[in-house]
Amino acid sequence: MKKGYPRFFLLPGLLLLIAIIIFPLLFTIRVTFSSWNVSQSGLNFIGGENWGEMVRDTRYWSSLLRLFYLSFLTVAIQYVLGFAIALFAWKGIAARRFYRVLWLIPMMTTPSLMAIIWRSIFTEDIGALNGLLTRVGLDPVNWLTESGPANVAITIAEVWQWTPFMFLILLAGLLSLPKEPFMAAAIDGASAWKTFARVTFPMMAPISIGAIMIRLIDASKIFDSVFTLTRGGPGNATETPAAYIFQRSLQDFQIAYGSTLALMYLILAILTLTIIGKVFARLSKPRGI
Amino acid sequence: MAKITLSNIGHSYNKDKDQSTWALKPLDMVWESGKTYALLGPSGCGKTTILNTISGLVTPHQGRLLFDDQDVTDVPTAQRNIAQVFQFPTIYRSMSVFENLSFPLVCRGWKPEKIKARVHEIAEILEITDKLGRSAVKLGADEKQLISLGRGLVRDDVSALLMDEPLTVIDPQSKFELRKKIKAINKINNLTVIYVTHDQYEAMTFADELLVMSFGEVIQRGTPEQLFEKPNSKYVGNFIGSPAMNFLPVEAKSSEIYFGSTKLKTSSAHTAVTGKAIEVGIRPEYVSLVTGTGENVIEAELLGHDDLGSVRVLKCVSGGFPISVKIQRNEGLPAGKNLFLKLPSEKSWLYQDGHLA
Repeated sequence: MKKGYPRFFLLPGLLLLIAIIIFPLLFTIRVTFSSWNVSQSGLNFIGGENWGEMVRDTRYWSSLLRLFYLSFLTVAIQYVLGFAIALFAWKGIAARRFYRVLWLIPMMTTPSLMAIIWRSIFTEDIGALNGLLTRVGLDPVNWLTESGPANVAITIAEVWQWTPFMFLILLAGLLSLPKEPFMAAAIDGASAWKTFARVTFPMMAPISIGAIMIRLIDASKIFDSVFTLTRGGPGNATETPAAYIFQRSLQDFQIAYGSTLALMYLILAILTLTIIGKVFARLSKPRGI
Repeated sequence: MAKITLSNIGHSYNKDKDQSTWALKPLDMVWESGKTYALLGPSGCGKTTILNTISGLVTPHQGRLLFDDQDVTDVPTAQRNIAQVFQFPTIYRSMSVFENLSFPLVCRGWKPEKIKARVHEIAEILEITDKLGRSAVKLGADEKQLISLGRGLVRDDVSALLMDEPLTVIDPQSKFELRKKIKAINKINNLTVIYVTHDQYEAMTFADELLVMSFGEVIQRGTPEQLFEKPNSKYVGNFIGSPAMNFLPVEAKSSEIYFGSTKLKTSSAHTAVTGKAIEVGIRPEYVSLVTGTGENVIEAELLGHDDLGSVRVLKCVSGGFPISVKIQRNEGLPAGKNLFLKLPSEKSWLYQDGHLA
């Protein structure tokens, strides 16, 4: 076979990669140096104006901070809950198959249906949750119209929707673990807690890291729950970067500025997730040299 | 150390009512304190089931298990004080060698200084002191198996050490070293050891007593010499020894035994056998080459030979039946094809329907 001939076969894949990833990315970078908006379309050159504006845009940075808190908190809760449920299912609770299907329903729910379910629960005047609170003698909470409770509402909805994903991945991980270390732990006299802490949990580390990273990547794009429940409100109290970028790019039609925000968001997401990945890899390294 | 008693213990993994299909058919057995036993048999014969029943990893379908006359059938594994080494090296992947060895002691709430001293003591015996700081997962299979063994030895409350084919995945050279080490450790600790293997050499060099199993039953129990010299069945005769025991079909005629037209004397009482399916069993090691006819001498034709290191196995046929003869290699090969084989009566036994008469 001629030298270089095999590379020829890579060409369709490479061209596709260029067409769907490299070109849009380069184009977006170029757009950020233009003033493309609703009244001026096209690629003019205005230097780093958009970038300067972005640095001064406190609404953007506070949405990023909110995302940081929302994604880490929701993924952490999802992981703990998902792991706990997976452990129960793994240990063989009755009607395991039924529960497995039941737990998957939230994940399969469309955002619009999720909005109906959660809005009916959180709506302040006729919502189920406030009805329950009133019945037990507590004051009703402004779940969707007050900053703190609105963030709690989004956290609950996110946890409800995505805990099953964690459950599914972690259960698959638990089912694939070898039996011998558990037999050895029983022989060594390990209690249930020690077995979990020293055997199950470390063995699950690679699967846990995988599941957490997938969820973090996904959670960094939190949009649908925010959009359907609060539309970023009250004010901007629940607005995430994805919601803000959507607002500026596709509703205000500030394409260039929206692109700048999106690009910065991409850079920060890659950096943060890379650092988190490295930290996890270090933490899960076996002890000893 | 503990005396282990199996009282009518039987187990079926599919909870079958028909006992003939059970993985372990009901048996009564006593394992004396401080002795080394080897469970020998082909795969699927119930060896591991016995071991896991003793350690509590399997709850027997029926019967009771006693440690020093105390019923432990329903006692959880963690409280049985059993050490078990599995076929595949089992280590805690996230821990260092030191942490692996100290884990059973951490579980028992030992103080750190005491743990450190004890782990170093065991590491010294196992000759892995220089590896204590290393990551267990990075070690070779033989070293990992030493750690599995070490986790059992590190405890001071072990009733019995159960080993389930611990050398299967070890390469031959390391196997020899590890076997030597295990023997030395047993000598120091004087534990009740039950060793599962399908390697007869391992069993014979290792154990005070052997138990040969087949289809969930113990076929014969005895010292390695007893099982080699006087197997109680053709199964044991074939399983123990290499090459397997020779079995020649014979006829019983008025208290006398004939192989073809040759009268044979054996160590069994000839009056004990009647009817058909009678055979004379003799180890290839005890058949000798002679120059002419005589008492207990049969004629045979040499078909070929296998050289096995310092010994040589002659493959012969007599009266249409195969017979192996084990000789020293330095004796050289016989000159011709027609041989005279002497079957010493004191080493020949009669078998009827596959069992010692």
